[in-house]
Amino acid sequence: MAATTESVKADAAEAPLLNVRNLVLGSLVYVLFYGWVRWYEGVYGWSAGLDSFAPEFETYWMNFLYIEFVLEVSTAGILWGYIWKTRDRKVLSITPREELRRHFTHWVWLVCYAWAIYYGASYFTEQDGTWHQTIVRDTDFTPSHIIEFYLSYPIYIITGGAAFLYAKTRLPAYQNGLSLMYLVSVVGPFMILPNVGLNEWGHTFWFMEELFVAPLHYGFVFFGWAALGVLGVVNTEVAALSKLLKKDLA
Amino acid sequence: MSASQSAVRSRAEAVKVSRTFDWLILFTLFFVVLGGYHIHYMLTGGDWDFWTDWKDRRLWVTVAPIVSITFPAAVQACLWYRYRLPFGAVVCILGLLLGEWINRYLNFWGWTYFPVNFCFPSNLFPGAIVLDAVLLLSGSLTVTAVVGGLAYGLLFYPGNWPIIAPLHVPVEYNGMMMTLADLQGYHYVRTGTPEYIRMVEKGTLRTFGKDVAPVSAFFSGFVSIIIYFLWHFFGKWFAQTTFVSSEDF
Repeated sequence: MAATTESVKADAAEAPLLNVRNLVLGSLVYVLFYGWVRWYEGVYGWSAGLDSFAPEFETYWMNFLYIEFVLEVSTAGILWGYIWKTRDRKVLSITPREELRRHFTHWVWLVCYAWAIYYGASYFTEQDGTWHQTIVRDTDFTPSHIIEFYLSYPIYIITGGAAFLYAKTRLPAYQNGLSLMYLVSVVGPFMILPNVGLNEWGHTFWFMEELFVAPLHYGFVFFGWAALGVLGVVNTEVAALSKLLKKDLA
Repeated sequence: MSASQSAVRSRAEAVKVSRTFDWLILFTLFFVVLGGYHIHYMLTGGDWDFWTDWKDRRLWVTVAPIVSITFPAAVQACLWYRYRLPFGAVVCILGLLLGEWINRYLNFWGWTYFPVNFCFPSNLFPGAIVLDAVLLLSGSLTVTAVVGGLAYGLLFYPGNWPIIAPLHVPVEYNGMMMTLADLQGYHYVRTGTPEYIRMVEKGTLRTFGKDVAPVSAFFSGFVSIIIYFLWHFFGKWFAQTTFVSSEDF
């Protein structure tokens, strides 16, 4: 198609298709925040995190836990509420270009979800293994658990929920019902958090060692498989984008 | 066609948009698969992967390929059968190894001071390369499962041998014969791990002496074939684009 004078003027006035600033800032939020968290663990894990009965443990770790609980619930409520409240009620009437722009915004959310899943499922989960082999555990709320279970997992749940809600409320491709694999890739990893209940119950009453391959941990494994639901999300997105771009790429 | 009916203004923009999405998709796919694969692997084969004194010639050789062929099979089922991209297995292993190396260096060493030559991850690349190559050359699920899966199990020990061999030399310590890796384990006490040497050095497989590693690798290859088939179909299931009715929820 030809670029007309009108369309060139429209290009200059409209927002860019991909907001690179949001992509970079979104990524930096995770990388910088978790860099700070890792510094905090390094300093206060050793100086205040070895004995859960010590007063400094309450100061540096239990207070961290209480604060993160409040911030996580508030963030989830505000963010998810905002995305839902500002939903597009005429989502099927948007122009193809606006739809493309929204797909880019959706992918900014998915990139953030990728960062959040990496830090939660990979970085802080395996990190917990080495802390268990270093200290003698006397609480369910060890410094590594306070970060892994109660910070990094809620953060990927909040991010995944936001990405799902964005797609559901703003993209025509997701108006045919609920995308099964999107649900799997968000709800499955979410279920890892309730599974912490089984894990801590088992470790408290029955199995004090931290053998990582112990069957007690298989709940985490099962729900971790749900991350593969991202394959279905990618396929859904590729189909939607092909529909938008196919005639121009032919 | 008028510009208002199209999502892009020109073919050049369409190409640029398409390429940008490629990168966004690859990044997301890589790190989400990394996260899922890593939590799966660390909790099904992790202890063998964490410590050199667990990297023995029996269970490590048996367990690691069986539990690690899972995600490569599933991702291949999507990337090859939908997009003809022949790097599903390697991209999984790249992700897993990246996640593991970052962790072993920054956390095992950087936070809790286990030396890296005690807690480095296993090398899974040779099997993954063969798995992708067999799929690329044959284009067949059955051939990839049988030939690639068997090779995945068989290649694991040789692929790790140059790394682990120096730690398997025998040493005598307080009148006992053990490997250098066992000695590392005695010196770096871990507060939540059972003493592995007492678990592994029993059973009749021990009586086969030098044949233990090949027997274990062959058995591992056999199970890897079955696991490959199973996870191929898991991958197909996860790759679906089905929508369900909101009323079902």
